[in-house]
Amino acid sequence: MTPAASRRGFLAMTAATLAAPSLVRAADDAVTIAWPSDVPGWDPNQRFTPDAQSLFKAVFDQPLDQAPDLKLVPHLVTRWELSADGLSMPIDLRDDVVFHNGERMTADDFRFTFFERIKSTPGLDIANSWRKVQDIEVLSPTKAVMRFSSPAPTAPVWLAFLGSYLVPKGYVEQVGAQAFAQKPIGTGPYRLVEWEVNGRIVLERNDKYWGPRPAIRRVTVQIIKDPSARVAAVQSGQVDIAINLPVREAVRLQGEPKLAAELDPITRIILLQVRNDLGFEDANVRLAAHHAIDKAALSRAFYNNAAVPLSQLATPGTPGYMDDFSVRFDPELAKQLLAKSGFGPDKPVKIGFATTNGQFPSDYDLARAIAQMWKRVGIEADIQVIEYPKYFELNRGHKLPEATLYSFDNATGDPEIFVGYMLNPKLPFSPWQDMTIGQKVIDLFNVADTAKRYAGWQAIDREAMEIGAKIPLLQSVLTLARQKNLAVTKYANGWVLPQTMRWT
Amino acid sequence: MIAILFLLARRLLTALPILLTVSILMFVALRLLPVDPAAMSMPPNATNEDIAAKRREMGLDKPLTTQYAIWLRGALHGDFGRSIQLRRDAGHLVTAALPATIQLALCAMVIASVLGLGGGLLLFHLRGGASEALGDLGTTVLLSVPEFLWALLFILLFGVLLPVLPFIGQLGPQFSVVRVTGFLLIDTLLAGQGSAFASALAHLTLPAAALGIAFSPAIMRVLRSGLLDVYHEDYIRQARLRGIGEGRILIVHALPNAILPTLTLMGVQFGFLFGGTLLVEVLYSYPGLGNLMVDAVRNADLPLIQTVGLTYCIVVLLIGMTVDALVLVLNPRLRAR
Repeated sequence: MTPAASRRGFLAMTAATLAAPSLVRAADDAVTIAWPSDVPGWDPNQRFTPDAQSLFKAVFDQPLDQAPDLKLVPHLVTRWELSADGLSMPIDLRDDVVFHNGERMTADDFRFTFFERIKSTPGLDIANSWRKVQDIEVLSPTKAVMRFSSPAPTAPVWLAFLGSYLVPKGYVEQVGAQAFAQKPIGTGPYRLVEWEVNGRIVLERNDKYWGPRPAIRRVTVQIIKDPSARVAAVQSGQVDIAINLPVREAVRLQGEPKLAAELDPITRIILLQVRNDLGFEDANVRLAAHHAIDKAALSRAFYNNAAVPLSQLATPGTPGYMDDFSVRFDPELAKQLLAKSGFGPDKPVKIGFATTNGQFPSDYDLARAIAQMWKRVGIEADIQVIEYPKYFELNRGHKLPEATLYSFDNATGDPEIFVGYMLNPKLPFSPWQDMTIGQKVIDLFNVADTAKRYAGWQAIDREAMEIGAKIPLLQSVLTLARQKNLAVTKYANGWVLPQTMRWT
Repeated sequence: MIAILFLLARRLLTALPILLTVSILMFVALRLLPVDPAAMSMPPNATNEDIAAKRREMGLDKPLTTQYAIWLRGALHGDFGRSIQLRRDAGHLVTAALPATIQLALCAMVIASVLGLGGGLLLFHLRGGASEALGDLGTTVLLSVPEFLWALLFILLFGVLLPVLPFIGQLGPQFSVVRVTGFLLIDTLLAGQGSAFASALAHLTLPAAALGIAFSPAIMRVLRSGLLDVYHEDYIRQARLRGIGEGRILIVHALPNAILPTLTLMGVQFGFLFGGTLLVEVLYSYPGLGNLMVDAVRNADLPLIQTVGLTYCIVVLLIGMTVDALVLVLNPRLRAR
């Protein structure tokens, strides 16, 4: 029997652990994180889940990366140059990168991830973002050329976006996709050593990492779905950092002496998706609905003033943002617009209003407050609660009501992914099906010149607001609480990366 | 022994049609939900053609009876379909999560039994005295607080205010344990990791106590009334006349007879307790079947809901069989029949 298992030792340890387990912190080079949802699996190409990106980025690398201010920076790819027509993009890869199993990363792995695997493996979400890839020509172990069937102006951006993680060709082909999703191998700063579905994820530092060595050796990601339990966990010291806390709790934790709590605006927009028919067929009604909403009051009431009121489909600091454009809160104007169409507080226009409850902080409360604001000007909204996974299904069947409260995440900040994706009638995100704007959006997807497309997206965004095709509300916030002596790099898109954490 | 085997065989035979009926009811109910599993298993930017192809691939374009037959054939071969959300085999997901829930439910049952039997004896002891009303009030209070409220109270009290016990997950972050059986307490012992065992036990304490305490008052009350009934029997009076002490009468003569209805109740309670793990697991971030079910329902993950639901049904039937067998072992009169 080992000393650890001896009766006296065992009893002593049992007593100590039972008495004060929460006081036992693992080590100074270890961190426990409270995370709100599990990864859908460890195949990073398979599912687009924004919340899982920070965890994927610990185990896998992307060809390009984003700096905290969202600027694209070299990563596995050291040089890239999209051709003027947007149809090809030569890339150079690092030559000092190895996967966790010791195999060297080469252009063959790049071709496999972004071309061969997409064609051969059904059901990968990444296939939808790289549909235009016609071929990837491998010139040498560190050089390749991506070729597209039509202009792909956002190809560089997508190399740092959802699902674009480099996977090892040899290993995936050897073990198969199922086994890979259980025991993944990447080139990232951490190796996955344990994954308990809905329980926890344990990562250990990859000491052969090609990039900066993370300060934290062992990272335990505890999946805690209940927001109150995440608050209790960080407050009691059972975890070192917790994210996505209720806003009021985050504000309260700012008063805790050992904790630092933050509410940071990120590149996620809370908006109302609207239809261009039914009760919203009339532009006057849609515009009245926009002017009737006091967004500053919503931010004050539900986000402690941290959520920036928005009047466009872009967040401040991103390329599509227009400093000189806003839609003002003006209930009198809203009443006038409604009166023009024969409606008013005494004869309200009736619409359906869908919302999620618990998908993002205060969503249902937000919908109720908006319905109250509308009621004052003459819009009577019937609130219906829907589950988030049903949004796309309802939209495909044209079954969404006139307005739907929605949260759209765009970690890149690129205007095509904000304005283009939210207004393209061929994509599943928007219930707005009018082709007047729709055709302009589709055409702009093929413009490769950066300055032209930024200007184009701004013009479309402005036009959409002028006809009430969307009702942006607020810039969403990331709430986070951490032990005061744990530092973490703040990213404008809300990433919370274990590799940037360190004890001070 | 033959009687027990006969009973088990009979219960197994009746369990099969029950399972079949439950599976049909669940299958039909889930298919009636306004949810398209094919659309939900595709990425948001999939086209309508992609979804139609997926629907054909999943057999959703076939009549409901054919769909059920396909599912049943798969289930009989151990294939319960793929989780829409996790895109993994639903059977594997359930098998991986089940030991954690069984472990939690068993520990909770131990706590409920200790509290219930101890409390029942105490209530019986207090009968007729001034404290009887106080005891009754205590059990009423215990009965009226549901398990999830105990769970929240314990988190607040022992996790946050007096941070003496962990309430997140089932193991401290500093430990890693090789899973052999899936039952963490056993696996830590098999690995000779005493500290990890202590950590797992500490993590189990609050959720098990929350579940156990909620189920203990019913046991207390049934045991007390069982003892009250037994104490009216002649053999108790005769034991007293023979000069046997009260303690011995209670433990040796009264308790074995009074405990039989209590045991049956505990069996029934265990079924409820197993279902009660659902909310407690979510609150304690405990990676068991309940957590999996809540996630599956939230994501309308029909294959996973069906598999977890069926597993609950099987577990409850197995518990029923075990309790019946146990009652048969303990009660010679039933064996004689």
